[in-house]
Amino acid sequence: MEETIIQENGSEQHEVPEISTPGQDAGGEKLRKLLHTLLKVLLIAAIVLSIFVFFVYAVPAISEIPAVVKTPVTNIDSLKKEAGYKKQIAQLKRDVQRLSRKYNSYTSGQSYLVINTTDNLFYLYRNKKLVRTGHCSTGSYKLLKTEEGRSWIFKTPKGRFWIQGKTVNPTWRRPDWAFVEEGLPIPSEDHYSRYEYGVLGEYALALGDGYLIHGTIYKRFLGMPVTHGCVRLNDEDLEAIFNTLNIGSKVYIF
Amino acid sequence: METNTEKQYVSFDRNPRILAWVFIAGCFLLYYSIMTIVAPGRKFKELQESYGFANDEKNPVDERIITDSSYLALLKEKSFLQSRVTLAESDSIYLTINLQDSIVKLEINGVSVHQAEVGRFAVSRILRSGNNYVILSMLSVPLTVNRNFASIEKEPLMIKLAPRDTSEFEPDIIPDTADYEPVNYIMEMDNGTLLFVYQEEKLKPGDGMRLFLFDLRHRIRYEAARFARIVTFRVPEYHPFIKLRIPRSDAKIIFRALPEHGQIAVSS
Repeated sequence: MEETIIQENGSEQHEVPEISTPGQDAGGEKLRKLLHTLLKVLLIAAIVLSIFVFFVYAVPAISEIPAVVKTPVTNIDSLKKEAGYKKQIAQLKRDVQRLSRKYNSYTSGQSYLVINTTDNLFYLYRNKKLVRTGHCSTGSYKLLKTEEGRSWIFKTPKGRFWIQGKTVNPTWRRPDWAFVEEGLPIPSEDHYSRYEYGVLGEYALALGDGYLIHGTIYKRFLGMPVTHGCVRLNDEDLEAIFNTLNIGSKVYIF
Repeated sequence: METNTEKQYVSFDRNPRILAWVFIAGCFLLYYSIMTIVAPGRKFKELQESYGFANDEKNPVDERIITDSSYLALLKEKSFLQSRVTLAESDSIYLTINLQDSIVKLEINGVSVHQAEVGRFAVSRILRSGNNYVILSMLSVPLTVNRNFASIEKEPLMIKLAPRDTSEFEPDIIPDTADYEPVNYIMEMDNGTLLFVYQEEKLKPGDGMRLFLFDLRHRIRYEAARFARIVTFRVPEYHPFIKLRIPRSDAKIIFRALPEHGQIAVSS
């Protein structure tokens, strides 16, 4: 078969005739078409990918090119001799000292407790030194909902608290959710079924709003987020904390 | 044979059109790049207007002071302290980032409650010039988180419907502490700064890919916003960034501890 191709200058080029059967020729043509289509698809994909990479990766990099902040740090002697300069430096030094003193005053030498609710760990500090650490249990992040539309979230509050009360052999007064959670009817405010003895361990430290640091009979759950918002500790840790912290001592929960 | 010849002629006819399109695309990319380059300068100008040096009329000072090394060193110290003291006066949990020491701290009321070492970090060029009066003045004010984008939930709530009676009561399932999810998040600050916190370790085979997809999703979001501004002939917003790589457990603690609109003090 003889093929003629028109070149740019318009001249004709005669190719050496190929000897092939009609079946082979049709197959080759199909393959060429397929390859041509494939190449086209690849080319389009490469263009789209390049555009995507340009906009998503190159553009943010381009925005970092200009050095907009030019900071010629100087050390001019004549400036340092000026009264205004000396006054400014003295003022800055005073400010730094004042702020530093103020900042350091926040960490007092008194005992305090730090509770990590993500990893369920506690850290007890005395005179700014860590004296005890261990596992605790904090809020489960469970949202309890009733058909009547009441709801409770069982999470340990975060922030700064202080010990508002200390109790030996505390009694647990079961709130409404304790009954709702078990499918029990809610009794009257002073009903005897609200009071449970011995479930909070030997000591309890009140943080306010009903949140307590107390012991537990479910020691296997220590280190896990399983409580209704209180902080549970094992007996030894609870005793150490009870004996170290006073009413007014800070508790930092994060 | 004739058909082939026609095809060749058609492709030659299309060439100028293709060239025109390539030219237009090139011009657009050039315009796009120029607008992108202009953005940081505009951002710095805005910051300069808010935090630039203002001479006291009663006690004027030589303006060269703001480039003096001793003055800037003291200003840097004051700026970070000022920011932390402001935060310590609130009862909220806040984060301090000290890039010089590669340390991040969670603090409550001035008391450091958790500390993590920064494995790697990257800071945008505008923040890298930590010895600039404008940047130092900007950092003397705590940054407030406007929005969070994270691969984990801030509060992992589990909803439980109360049983109607004791027959429906089921004891709680013990939480699965082995449950694993990669920890990566982005905090968008009120002044436009972006804080990227990515877990340092690749603990599971898919972690790299999940981080890539997380990062890509947010890149697309920010780039779409940039694109929308540029095609409407507006200079895009420039977001200075701080990218931190910290251990997964620390990243999780920090994210869960900080309030939704938490505050951050930065020393660059």
